[in-house]
Amino acid sequence: MWLPIRIDEQRPEPLYHQIEVQLRGLILGGQLAEGTLLPSIRELAGTLKCSAITVRRVYQDLENERLIRTRQGMGTFVAGVEASARDEHRLERASEALAQAVDTGLQLQCTLEELERIFGDLIRSRREEGRPNGNA
Amino acid sequence: MAMPNEAYRAASDPAIEAAVSLHGVKLASERFSLGPIDCDVPIGYVTAIVGTNGSGKSSLMRMLLGLEPIRSGEASVLGTRIVPGGDEGYKTRVGFLAELPHAHENAMTADEKAKFASQWYPSWDWERYRRLMRQFECDGGAKLNKLSKGMRRKVELSVTLAHDPELLLLDEPSSGLDPFAWRMMLDELQRYMDSGERTLVIATHITEEVRRLADYILFLDRGRYLGLYERDRLLDGWRTLLVQHVGGGSGSESALRRTPGLQGLTEAGAGVYRLEVDEPEQGEAYVRSAGFQVLASQRMELEDILSCLIRKEEAKR
Repeated sequence: MWLPIRIDEQRPEPLYHQIEVQLRGLILGGQLAEGTLLPSIRELAGTLKCSAITVRRVYQDLENERLIRTRQGMGTFVAGVEASARDEHRLERASEALAQAVDTGLQLQCTLEELERIFGDLIRSRREEGRPNGNA
Repeated sequence: MAMPNEAYRAASDPAIEAAVSLHGVKLASERFSLGPIDCDVPIGYVTAIVGTNGSGKSSLMRMLLGLEPIRSGEASVLGTRIVPGGDEGYKTRVGFLAELPHAHENAMTADEKAKFASQWYPSWDWERYRRLMRQFECDGGAKLNKLSKGMRRKVELSVTLAHDPELLLLDEPSSGLDPFAWRMMLDELQRYMDSGERTLVIATHITEEVRRLADYILFLDRGRYLGLYERDRLLDGWRTLLVQHVGGGSGSESALRRTPGLQGLTEAGAGVYRLEVDEPEQGEAYVRSAGFQVLASQRMELEDILSCLIRKEEAKR
């Protein structure tokens, strides 16, 4: 199976870290359902042009986090993820994205009130545009 | 200062089982010497032997089959020590594709070569041989010297892979292959490695092969062994930094010489320097603290890392 994982060679993070973050995101984000058979280590290494050692490291880490499970002779599968873990991940991702925006705002000398106003305005305008989840 | 490179080396990990184990191995003939080499090639992985022409790639491969006399040191392959007149049984568990075709096979057809090989290898699998020949679109009945270079290479690959060897030694396997056959070969080698129990050692000068296949890289340069490295750690760990002294002055070049993990330093323009480092984080932090601004920080190509390793080795002499 093909996984939407991309390595950015210009990024300073090590290859295994880039792959791990994306694969973890696909599992916790629900794009990869429980029971999905993942590519073999050699197969994924070939597609991503990274070494089998790197993919093995990623699979081992995610197995330790109980996100995937390897069954002898059958392959590696996506494990069941609890709703609480999924929620935690969702909030973590949103918080990371917001932190970046806040950093930019602070660099531009914005006050808390200004940032809160921008935040509120953005949410309202998204709702008016009828963006998915904007009116939740 | 720590020895940063040591951390990237595979050889030091005793937990890894070795398909090939070399300790202080030296080869020497009148014209050429190689080594000493100290490394363990791990089972289950692809190790690419990379080096310039005449660096000793083929000699190293031939040594593993007892075809080059070992002057000193110890070499073992699949647990068998390589000594003159020693046990050669291990060779039935090895598949070897030489750099050049054997002239004495010129008048043979592919099927005749396969028949000969089938008697030598107990694990020979005709089914597998035919599948490979079909896939590579080879005609088993044609005489080998009537085939194009690439076609003959495909026949030889099929024969080499047909007994599903535990250890596969390929010396420049893709020479003469067209791009489609080349892709097919890579897929086939990936399939061969899939069980996780097979070991591939491939001598190549094609970077794309190293990028697609290799887990470890063994660097050679004019008979000198430069180390066995885990490829992705090497690519993750080496960086080119372009730095400029803040304020436009020339800064102190001697301060840059003390950068952690420094592997190379050149002046790229007035007050602008190009550094090669293998401890990027510490390196960047250091140059900043020394009053330099980092204009660019980029991963390095394998070729550039290799030339750094060569320069460093030369500086030792």
